[in-house]
Amino acid sequence: MLKKIIHIFFLPCSKATLLMEKRNAKSISPKENWQLSMHVKICKWCKAYQEKVEILDSILKKKWFGEEEVDINTAEIQNFKDKVFRKLDF
Amino acid sequence: MTKNETLKNWIEQYSESLLRRAIYLLSDKVEAEDIVQEVFIAAFSSYDSFEAKSKPLTWLNTILNNKVADFYRKKYKSEPYIKLDHFFDETGSWKNDSVLNDWNVSNQESELLDNQDFNKSLKDCIEDLPSRWKIPMKMYYLEEKKAPEVSQELDITTTNLWKILQRTRMQLRECLEINWFSKS
Repeated sequence: MLKKIIHIFFLPCSKATLLMEKRNAKSISPKENWQLSMHVKICKWCKAYQEKVEILDSILKKKWFGEEEVDINTAEIQNFKDKVFRKLDF
Repeated sequence: MTKNETLKNWIEQYSESLLRRAIYLLSDKVEAEDIVQEVFIAAFSSYDSFEAKSKPLTWLNTILNNKVADFYRKKYKSEPYIKLDHFFDETGSWKNDSVLNDWNVSNQESELLDNQDFNKSLKDCIEDLPSRWKIPMKMYYLEEKKAPEVSQELDITTTNLWKILQRTRMQLRECLEINWFSKS
């Protein structure tokens, strides 16, 4: 019950998870940072989520997906170049 | 080299890299081709402002980012409205316990990154996100941009960018939970 009250009046999980994004990007204020730390101490769901946020953030930072996996072939690239050459009248 | 020769060279050398980045950001080949074409046209007409000391691809990527941001701003004129009721109840508490599942990866993160099946699941989960959220998230992680920079480019408030990042990450978490961690 106490936890429920703290969640609602102090900082709900929906807000705590937003503050995690700000903290990740180092844009969190000292007050928010304190609120978030207190919340995570008493909330096992947000504690678990925070660990996952950190994993996802570090994976996404290390590797951005797509460039080398984008599906495009040599013929399409050549076609594109020809189109631009025509467009620019080269 | 004349301006025309330089441009011709750039088109030959950098089309592929620019196209790949544009397709990645926009998830749409036709749209991406149009935008990269615009990039070269813009480079041609503002060639005089290119400083030879910077790398051509860096300059072209900057133009590409601006074009993608233009595209995003035109497509999504109003500020986004982000609902979280899929995850939280009316008091703002988690609706279910799936977040508690142990991913068990603390020491194996690099193994995950090398795992092709995991990469495929992650990529699929990212592509499943709506464009309106996917584009800001990709721009945020691309070259590790800062949030104020991305929100300024896309003309959304920083608060809304946080909300978009929060919403996309919650969805990614859930998607990976279902498609990867509960299966592996």
